[in-house]
Amino acid sequence: MLNILWRNIKWRFQNPLSIVVTILQPLIWLVLYSTVAKQAMKNIGVENYTAFILPGIIVLVTFSACSSSGFINFIMKSKGSFSRILIAPVKRSSIVLGQMLEAILLSFMEITLLFIIGLFFSVKIESGLIGITLMILLIFLTAFFISGLTYSISLFLPNEVIYETIMNAIVLPIFFLSSALFPMKNLSGGLAIVVKLNPFTHVINALRNLILRENIFIERIIPVILLFLIMCSISYVLALWKLKVESNQ
Amino acid sequence: MAINIQDLVKDYNNGVRALDRLNLKVDKGQIFSLLGPNGAGKSSLINILTTYYKATSGNIIILGKDLSKEPNWVRKQISCVRQRVSIDEHLSLKENMIFQSRLYKIDSQVSKERIESLIKTFNLSKYLKYPTTSYSGGVKRRLDVAMNMVSMPKILFLDEPTVGMDVYSRRAMWKMLLRIREEYETTIFLTTHYLEEAEQLSDTICIMKEGKKLTQGTPSSLRNIIRPNMISITFSSDNKTKKCKDTLDKTSLVNFTTIRGNSVFAGVDNSELAFMVLNKWLLNNNIEFNGIEIVKPSLEDVFLALTSSKSSREE
Repeated sequence: MLNILWRNIKWRFQNPLSIVVTILQPLIWLVLYSTVAKQAMKNIGVENYTAFILPGIIVLVTFSACSSSGFINFIMKSKGSFSRILIAPVKRSSIVLGQMLEAILLSFMEITLLFIIGLFFSVKIESGLIGITLMILLIFLTAFFISGLTYSISLFLPNEVIYETIMNAIVLPIFFLSSALFPMKNLSGGLAIVVKLNPFTHVINALRNLILRENIFIERIIPVILLFLIMCSISYVLALWKLKVESNQ
Repeated sequence: MAINIQDLVKDYNNGVRALDRLNLKVDKGQIFSLLGPNGAGKSSLINILTTYYKATSGNIIILGKDLSKEPNWVRKQISCVRQRVSIDEHLSLKENMIFQSRLYKIDSQVSKERIESLIKTFNLSKYLKYPTTSYSGGVKRRLDVAMNMVSMPKILFLDEPTVGMDVYSRRAMWKMLLRIREEYETTIFLTTHYLEEAEQLSDTICIMKEGKKLTQGTPSSLRNIIRPNMISITFSSDNKTKKCKDTLDKTSLVNFTTIRGNSVFAGVDNSELAFMVLNKWLLNNNIEFNGIEIVKPSLEDVFLALTSSKSSREE
């Protein structure tokens, strides 16, 4: 697993453009959009809009980093190393986890950068050290789920063009149909139901509470952790199954 | 015995039967060549033997163990060089070899010694300081083979290793394979559609077509098949070519004929003798032709020779 992780990290740092591209769009949202929309949001009671949208941007950057990691499968297939690894005496779980961990590490790296930029916009984590620990756990679970999902999707699809199209088609609706940009209390009707059904809404809300509030409402965070634990298990099992199918044609 | 295959069948989901009750035996320490045209089932067989694909039915014993029951054990004993070079171009030469050795969980000290020795054996020392992206196709291929030898496999599979190579690189690859066999006593199983390659390199050649084995033997025992005597007669038009082929087929002067362009290619028993006989026959029958020559056979001719000799034996 660590061998695969090492190899993928080497690839990532030899292709720094893949880091820049994955963080570019979330950065634009965080810096430009939050500045532009700040005034309008103040009217509905949001004091620091950059801090408010940061959790949504965290989910967006995680999607971006993990999508890029799924892309590595297509590069490996076209370069031939995919089959070389599959016929080596390596556990299939190590192959999947090695690749997923690289996506998780990249997500954390980019999220750290977002927080550093957030400091210039007076973003602070009000909940302190325990809050930061809980945030790390929530982000890890989110990245683990998404990386497993993107890994599986990359194995299901025939080429990188379709993969990119599908990922774009998935990410933006999930982002807009969540509480990433607006407070949930302002939503009503069918849209509110859809937003509530989106699991990312809950992780965004949990992260937002940890950033904006001093008090930690653990009873609101535990259900989110449990939900994501289940989702992580499903996405990991799906990725593992798809890889096994790939080598059992 | 390195490999023993019995009644192997591979059916794909699209209904194509790639391997059709194939039986094959490969002795330890041999260079075994699987010769066949595209679609013969060579790559399917290598994919199954290297645990990448699963067989539909049949038995495969590799180094005494059942492949279907102990694929992980088999994976530790084998390595495979595929048609496409599989090195990671973002890693350096040594990093590629280190990565491969870690995949096979080789002790780091042992791996270090092996890597040094392989770099020397494959003459890769002078490329160490350059990035792998700058290597020529031939050097990349050499690194690919060296990398797959890090685990010291007992069986090395090569799927058309010289396809697309120029004559010089191809001969360099042959030397390398012979050296692997000599120095490391590795059993080499390779697929090819080059007659010369199979003949020059192999201890045993197996010729297959449409998923079936046509014949198997040593290069000398198959010489008549892999080097059939061929005569080519060239005409000025398609009509004349076809007319000559039809007339020639009715005689007993040739074993088989085939048309390529404006030429009739004829398989004969003795090319020098047939050259004279056919010349006379063409002149006596007033058949206009542009040229006649003794030619080297193609793989297609080998299959025609093989099937024609089989059918004549059956008759």
